[in-house]
Amino acid sequence: MTQVGTPLGGRHLRYAYMDHWRVDTAQGQVSQYSSVERFDAFLKQVSGVGYEAIETFDFHLGALRDLFGSLPAAREFMQSRGIDRVLSLFHAVMYDARQSTPHVRATHDHIVRYAEHIMKSSAGLGVQNFIVMPAGLYFDVEPVTDDKIRACAELWNRVGQMTLEGYGVKTCCHHEFFCGIRSAEQLQKFYDWTDPRYVFLCLDTAQHVIAGVDPVDLFLKLHDRCAAFHLKDTHDVDTNGDYRRKPDAEVMAPTTARWFYEIGTEGGLVDFPALYGAMKEVGWQGWVGVEHDKADVGGGNYPESTAIAAWTIRNVLRKIHD
Amino acid sequence: MTKWGYATNQWKAGFTGFARMEQQERALKVTAACGFDAIELTAGTGRWDPMGRPENIQQNFGSVEHFKLKLRDWGIQRVASLFFDPLQMSFEELHHGLDCSEPSQHALLLQQAGVFARFLANVGGEVLVVRALPPFGRHGGLDAERQAAAAGCWNAVGAMTAALGIKTVLHLDALSPLRSPDELAAWLERLDAATVGLCMDTAELTIAGHDVTAWYRRFHQRVWHVHLKDALAVDTLNEYRAPNAERALLLAGGERGIPRWFGELGTGLVDWPALMGALRETGYAGWLIVESDKGPAPAAASLMQNAWTVRHVLQPLLT
Repeated sequence: MTQVGTPLGGRHLRYAYMDHWRVDTAQGQVSQYSSVERFDAFLKQVSGVGYEAIETFDFHLGALRDLFGSLPAAREFMQSRGIDRVLSLFHAVMYDARQSTPHVRATHDHIVRYAEHIMKSSAGLGVQNFIVMPAGLYFDVEPVTDDKIRACAELWNRVGQMTLEGYGVKTCCHHEFFCGIRSAEQLQKFYDWTDPRYVFLCLDTAQHVIAGVDPVDLFLKLHDRCAAFHLKDTHDVDTNGDYRRKPDAEVMAPTTARWFYEIGTEGGLVDFPALYGAMKEVGWQGWVGVEHDKADVGGGNYPESTAIAAWTIRNVLRKIHD
Repeated sequence: MTKWGYATNQWKAGFTGFARMEQQERALKVTAACGFDAIELTAGTGRWDPMGRPENIQQNFGSVEHFKLKLRDWGIQRVASLFFDPLQMSFEELHHGLDCSEPSQHALLLQQAGVFARFLANVGGEVLVVRALPPFGRHGGLDAERQAAAAGCWNAVGAMTAALGIKTVLHLDALSPLRSPDELAAWLERLDAATVGLCMDTAELTIAGHDVTAWYRRFHQRVWHVHLKDALAVDTLNEYRAPNAERALLLAGGERGIPRWFGELGTGLVDWPALMGALRETGYAGWLIVESDKGPAPAAASLMQNAWTVRHVLQPLLT
């Protein structure tokens, strides 16, 4: 047998895993960043099914430093487990009109400063993409006007230029179904008004489907701007306006207990074969991120979802493109 | 080339696990995603164990051929082997456990083993793995008469399976009444070397206090099958001798309250470089079946971690 633990990727695509895990312990679910032993087990499991990089949140940077002494040491440890780098860093901004909200121009300087702080403090992990939600929560942004979208575009042009020219990192916008820029029309305007040199798309397949946007169509329109993927599936389109629900649409929507599922889920609404066909058609190559967000809702678990997605990539999708 | 497979026993922790088709599909896709395309099944009983009995496979999948096709759909190319513990009750053969050291139970044991051997032959399997002996505590050891009876039983099973093209291997566990290598060597002389082999279980032997590499080097010519898992502790108090060791020691942890005996590869006491070196030097050509036996939930986590260790640690040691 030659397949045990071999990389998922082929000639054109390599795979990264966007981390939302918690691990089961005698003390209940805890973060795997709580000990070297737990982080080691996490890396081995992800590498064991063929992923070659991880993606994580910027609020884990401190924990990685604590565990390994420095981020280069953390990366060296990852590489010893078959994980090459932290491909993408998700920028967890506390969007709030008092301090940071992209459609409010007065907050832009603060947002840019904080983004640059993250660029400086994440050096050593091999980060290539800086993932951001480009607008605040929908209910904080509405009514969504052209001027608000333009304000967001201005901000991310600044941030994108800083990250790319200063640090070699691409700023990629990730549109949660509950964020202020979510519809096909809003997306088109945002990418028309941002600088293609500096602002890129992170295509999150499930988020777009939930928001009523066809991710394959979106990819075909914006493939030149697409620098990252979060591949995951969903069973539901938000037809009830859950995206406007306060305080939260993601885990508190009364209509839907669990929005996100792994690639390969029965009854999933994302047309992954079509997406891979589109990626092949346009010659897209590079890293692909796979994500399981809230996979433990309703008795699921992260390792199993991670492996099921890997199975589907290896057995169904890879033959389409790669 | 080394033949790797993965056991399925960790998925069936209770009545409700690994019962529905979608649960089996997810479990085996996880296995295949880790690169293991062969599995070892575990014999079971009753309507709640759909892969534990050939009759259940027939009913759930329509036929053995359809079962094989379904496995292939999920990424599993073959069933390598099947583990059968005759001491477990059987709703199908209507008994509460068969003891190979009791001659009066041999006929029914042979009949039941035949069910699984014929299934293995039909499904393209190679090895019937059987629990070799009752635990020490059952009879307070195993006297010469019982040893002879047990050998006679397995010689009969070995001859029966060989006629079907299936190897019979004896799985010696941490509770085995034949503790020392010399006792085992003496017993092996009663067993037909052409039809009955051994399954070396790295964790069980380590828990029993053996250096598995030394054990393997002594018995390698009889070892036709290997179960790979790590051991997290040794039975230093000889609690295997207790009448209720199966529960009191293995499940409840014994006097020392050992929380878990079996671990992921590389996390415990087994000297993997030494053992892999011995397998390489002796040209071992049988199956290497990795197990997550009695591992914590979620089962996928252990399997994925073992896949990493096989690729990065064990396979390089074999070449």
